[in-house]
Amino acid sequence: MSVRKKRLILLAGVAFGALAGLAAYTQQSKPLDPFEEAMRQRQMYLETFGVLPGDLFVEEGKELFYRKGPSGKTLEECDFGKGKGVLEGAYALLPKYFPDTGRVEDLETRVYTCMQRVQGFKPEEIKRDEVRAITTYIASFSSKAKIQVVPKHPQELAMYNLGRELWYTRAGARDMSCAVCHDQHAGQRVRLSPVRSPRQGLGNEWPAYRFEEDKLYTMEDRIDFCYESIAIPKPEFYSDVHIALTLYMLAEATKAGHSFEELPFFTR
Amino acid sequence: MRRKAVLAFGVLLLGLGLSQGPFRARLEAAIQGGGPRFAQVMLSQDKAQALCTQYRDRLPADLVPKFLEEQKALIKYPASGKLMGDWRNGEKVFTDPKRGNCYACHAGDPKEVAHGTMGPSLTGYGQRGQSEAVVRYTYEKIYNAWAFVPCSLMYRGGVHGLFTPEETADLVAFLLDPNSPINRR
Ligand code: HEC
Ligand code: HEC
Repeated sequence: MSVRKKRLILLAGVAFGALAGLAAYTQQSKPLDPFEEAMRQRQMYLETFGVLPGDLFVEEGKELFYRKGPSGKTLEECDFGKGKGVLEGAYALLPKYFPDTGRVEDLETRVYTCMQRVQGFKPEEIKRDEVRAITTYIASFSSKAKIQVVPKHPQELAMYNLGRELWYTRAGARDMSCAVCHDQHAGQRVRLSPVRSPRQGLGNEWPAYRFEEDKLYTMEDRIDFCYESIAIPKPEFYSDVHIALTLYMLAEATKAGHSFEELPFFTR
Repeated sequence: MRRKAVLAFGVLLLGLGLSQGPFRARLEAAIQGGGPRFAQVMLSQDKAQALCTQYRDRLPADLVPKFLEEQKALIKYPASGKLMGDWRNGEKVFTDPKRGNCYACHAGDPKEVAHGTMGPSLTGYGQRGQSEAVVRYTYEKIYNAWAFVPCSLMYRGGVHGLFTPEETADLVAFLLDPNSPINRR
C-alpha cells in the first residue's frame, strides 16, 4: 500500500478519535489541560495504529526525497546547509544564507528552490503537500537538536531585522501584532491555549501533527494560522515574511539555549 | 468611505516610509512579496497602529494625551443615545468569534471555563453599579479600548466595525445588568 493511502486510512480513523475527545472536552466542567490532552491523544494513536501520523509524513517525505526530478537528480544533490545530501542537524541551522540562490532560506523554501534549480521542476508542478512531507522528513534529522540560528551574514542580519519589525507590526481589524501576545502576554492563555515567547522556545515544535486540525503543520503553516486568527490574510508560502519571522523567532530561541522537541512533534 | 480614508492614510504612510530610507523600502518590498491580500492589510495601518509599532507599544508620555484624544474622537454612539441595551444579545456578540470574541481574553459567565487570561476577569463586573460614569466608561472602553490604554492588547472592536454602536450597548448590558450570567451567582 502506498504511504499516501496508509495515511488517509489512518487519518480517517483518527478524526473519529479526536471527535470523541472533543465531546469529552465540552461535557466536562473543568477544562482539559491541553498538554495532557495531547499526550493522551498521542498515546491513543500509538496504541490503536502503532504509528504516529507525523511518521507517515516522514515516510512519504523520504520517498519524495529520493524521487528523480525532470533533471534526473534526487534531492541528495541539494545542499541544505551542511553540504550536499547531509541532513543530520541541517534543520537546526535554518534559516540561513545560501550563496547559490543569493537568498536567506528556511527549510521549506530551500526544498522549494532545490526542486526547481536542482531537480528541474517548474514552480507550478510543485505541490505544497509534497514540500510539507519533504520538510518533515529532513526536519526529523534534527529531532531534539539544539537550535543554532545565529545571524552572521549581512543578509541574515537584514532578515533578522525585518523579522523583528514584522513581529511588532500592528495591523488589521484586530489591531494585533505577534509581540502583543507572544511577548507582552506570554505565559497567559488565549482561551485554553498558553502562549509562549521566543525566549521561552516558541517555534521549537514544528513540523508537527495537530490532532485538533488533523493536519501536519510546518512553521510556515503555523505562522499562517496565527495571521489568519488575527484577521490578516496569510502571506504567500516561501515569501520573505515567513523566512524573516522564522529567523527572528529561532534566533531568539537560540539565545535562550532552546532545543527542538521530538520532530515531527505531536500537538493540539 | 472609511476604508478609502484608511487606504489613503496607508498610502501617505507609505510615502513617509519610503522617505525614511532603505530599511523601510526593504520592509515594504518583503510585505509586497507576501502577496496582494497580505500587503493590502499590512500596508494600510492607521496612524495609531503605526505609532504603536514604531514605539513597540510603549508610547512616550508626551504623545499620550493627543493619542487618547484622537481615539476618543473615533467613538460613535447609538442614535437612541441609550448606552445600555439588551444583555441577551450582548451575550451573543460577546461569545461570537467573528464579533466580540471576548472569551479569547476574558472570563465572563462563570459557566464558561474555556476562557483566556490575557485580560482581567469580567465575572461580577456589574458590582460597579450602573452610574452614568460607569456605563459611559464601559461603553467607550469596549468601543475603543485605545481611548483609555494606548496600544492595549484589546482591539478597537467598535472602530473597526466588528460590532455596531447598538451591539456595543448590548455588550455593556451583558457586563452591567444584574440578570446577566456575568453577575448572577
Ligand atoms: C491573539 C494572540 C496571538 C497573536 C497576535 C499571535 N499569536 Fe501565535 N499563538 C497564539 C496562540 C493562542 C497560540 C497557540 C498556543 C498553543 O496552543 O500552543 C499561538 C501559537 C503560535 C506558534 C506555535 C506555538 C509554539 O509554541 O511553537 C507560533 C510559531 C506562533 N504562534 C507565531 C506567531 C506569529 C509569528 C505571530 C504574528 C504574525 C503570532 N503568532 C501572533 C496567539 C497569538
Ligand atoms: C485580545 C485580548 C482581548 C480581547 C479579545 C478583549 N479584551 Fe477586553 N481587555 C483586554 C486587556 C489586556 C485589558 C486590560 C488593558 C486595557 O484596559 O486595555 C482589557 C480590558 C477590558 C475592560 C476594562 C476592565 C476594567 O476593569 O476597567 C473591559 C470592560 C473589557 N476589556 C471588555 C471586553 C469586551 C466586552 C470584549 C469583547 C468585545 C473584550 N474586552 C475583548 C484584552 C482583551
